[in-house]
Amino acid sequence: MRNVLALSWQVVRDAARRKVFYVVFLFGIAVVALSPLLPTFELGLKAQFLRDVSLSLTSLFAVVLAVILSVGQISSEIDRKTVYNVLSKPVSRFEYLLGKYIGVLVSLAAILFVMGLEILLLVYLRLSVFTPIIFEGIFAIFLEAAIISAFCICLSTVTSVPVNILSVILFYLVTHLKTGFLHQQLIEGVKGIAKVFSWAVYYVLPNLENFNISQRVGYGHGAGWLYMLRITGYALLFMIIIFGIGVLLFRRRNL
Amino acid sequence: MDAAISLSHISKEYRLALSRKRRPAIVDVSVEVGGGEIYGLLGPNGAGKTTTLKVLLGLVRPDSGEGSLLGRPLGDRTAHAKLGFLPEEPYFYGFMTAEKGLAFYSRFLGLDRKEAAVRAGELIDLVGLQRDSHLSIDKFSKGMVQRFGLAQAMLGDPELLILDEPSSGLDPVGQKEVRDILVELKRRGKTIFLSSHQLSEVEKICDSVSIVNKGKSVKAGKVSELLTITGFKQVIVSGGERAVEALSSLAPGSALPDGEAAFNVPEDEVFAFVDAARDAGLELMSVTTGHRSLEELFMETVEGGGR
Repeated sequence: MRNVLALSWQVVRDAARRKVFYVVFLFGIAVVALSPLLPTFELGLKAQFLRDVSLSLTSLFAVVLAVILSVGQISSEIDRKTVYNVLSKPVSRFEYLLGKYIGVLVSLAAILFVMGLEILLLVYLRLSVFTPIIFEGIFAIFLEAAIISAFCICLSTVTSVPVNILSVILFYLVTHLKTGFLHQQLIEGVKGIAKVFSWAVYYVLPNLENFNISQRVGYGHGAGWLYMLRITGYALLFMIIIFGIGVLLFRRRNL
Repeated sequence: MDAAISLSHISKEYRLALSRKRRPAIVDVSVEVGGGEIYGLLGPNGAGKTTTLKVLLGLVRPDSGEGSLLGRPLGDRTAHAKLGFLPEEPYFYGFMTAEKGLAFYSRFLGLDRKEAAVRAGELIDLVGLQRDSHLSIDKFSKGMVQRFGLAQAMLGDPELLILDEPSSGLDPVGQKEVRDILVELKRRGKTIFLSSHQLSEVEKICDSVSIVNKGKSVKAGKVSELLTITGFKQVIVSGGERAVEALSSLAPGSALPDGEAAFNVPEDEVFAFVDAARDAGLELMSVTTGHRSLEELFMETVEGGGR
């Protein structure tokens, strides 16, 4: 565990050095810039709109952050040979990968927490409404970002940064289209390879739309603890599967 | 002492990108490094030196063959607690200072904060980075990074040091300092396995060498034995280039930097050679066992061994 913690802390420090935490300030500015655009609804609707839009924006920032933090996490360390200095010590490849992943998760959690505070503060200052329910939405966004990050780290063990970025964009689009377009394709009976592909994508990949609860949080009543528990388990399952595939790929990799 | 490193008939091929073809990186390489010796792995670029080191460290999985590291099978991480590694042209997290960097790596070796700080201080002094220990590594020159890399490799007071081109990027003073550190480590009973292109350096400090070419181990043994030419005497005379011109028809020789010249002369022709040297007005300096430089052996082996 000592090895994993040391590597995680290094990732957090590197994230700070790379100034990704500035994204938090950028986000704050973006949210504040949004607020004058609030429609002239009654107070309740205003708060709903502000929460919904802020969370949607947070979700977008979180995905970009997850990609920035994870996409070159392993491949660039292999290219720069920094991986040799660690793996020549008594550190297993599993510990190395886990340390990196946990580091990314901690960085994401810290950034998202501050973003949540920013939204809370904004809603309170603009509308005098205190809405801690916002953190339910933030947590769902974190879970989605954690899956995307696992996907990037998994691919990062075997591919270069450009290939990884293209793959994660595709992954993001497909996993958000699942319940709509792909489900329709399956029901309406596409044939041949298209059907097999649709089936594989539908049943193998996670459905990231499950983590989109911005509207429900916007209404102010949240998604409920049972739903949150379900999506937490769902996210953990996919995080473990995708990360496990990454571990297997990394074990076989010649460095 | 037991072998610190043992590689037996190791082979490794890499698949070429976008092709089914495979390129052999090392073929049937065997190496045996005794405890407490300095062992040099020599070879031209692309000969398979770095792949051999990576196989040792478990960074690359061999296709065939077996080996052990400090008595443990290859890939066993417990052996890694007792070894230090310096990669070729090392790169470290640039945002760390030398002190923080050493503290970071020491955590993998189980050193507590206090121990790590003391050890880091000693090593920073040893490699001559004390004036720059507060700078972040990305502000270091190439030579400073190399010194830091050496300190990082020595962090856990390892029994075995594996060094890929340890003098790369260092000026002559730095090279001499590294050489002195390695000799001192050997005196303390450490085993050092290094790859290097600096043949004169290897000749000065290594007990044994292995020359690899095109992925194959083509010559290996004790340096003193490999450089001895049996049946020949080395005759050193004054005169430098003038002596080479005058006597090269009798025996192959070369001018030495101090104005003398060295010739490898068949034992039964030594007296005739010495007479010829005196006739040419040259002074006889010494007659010793036939000897060649490591560079001569290397060139003979690599060029003669067929690239």
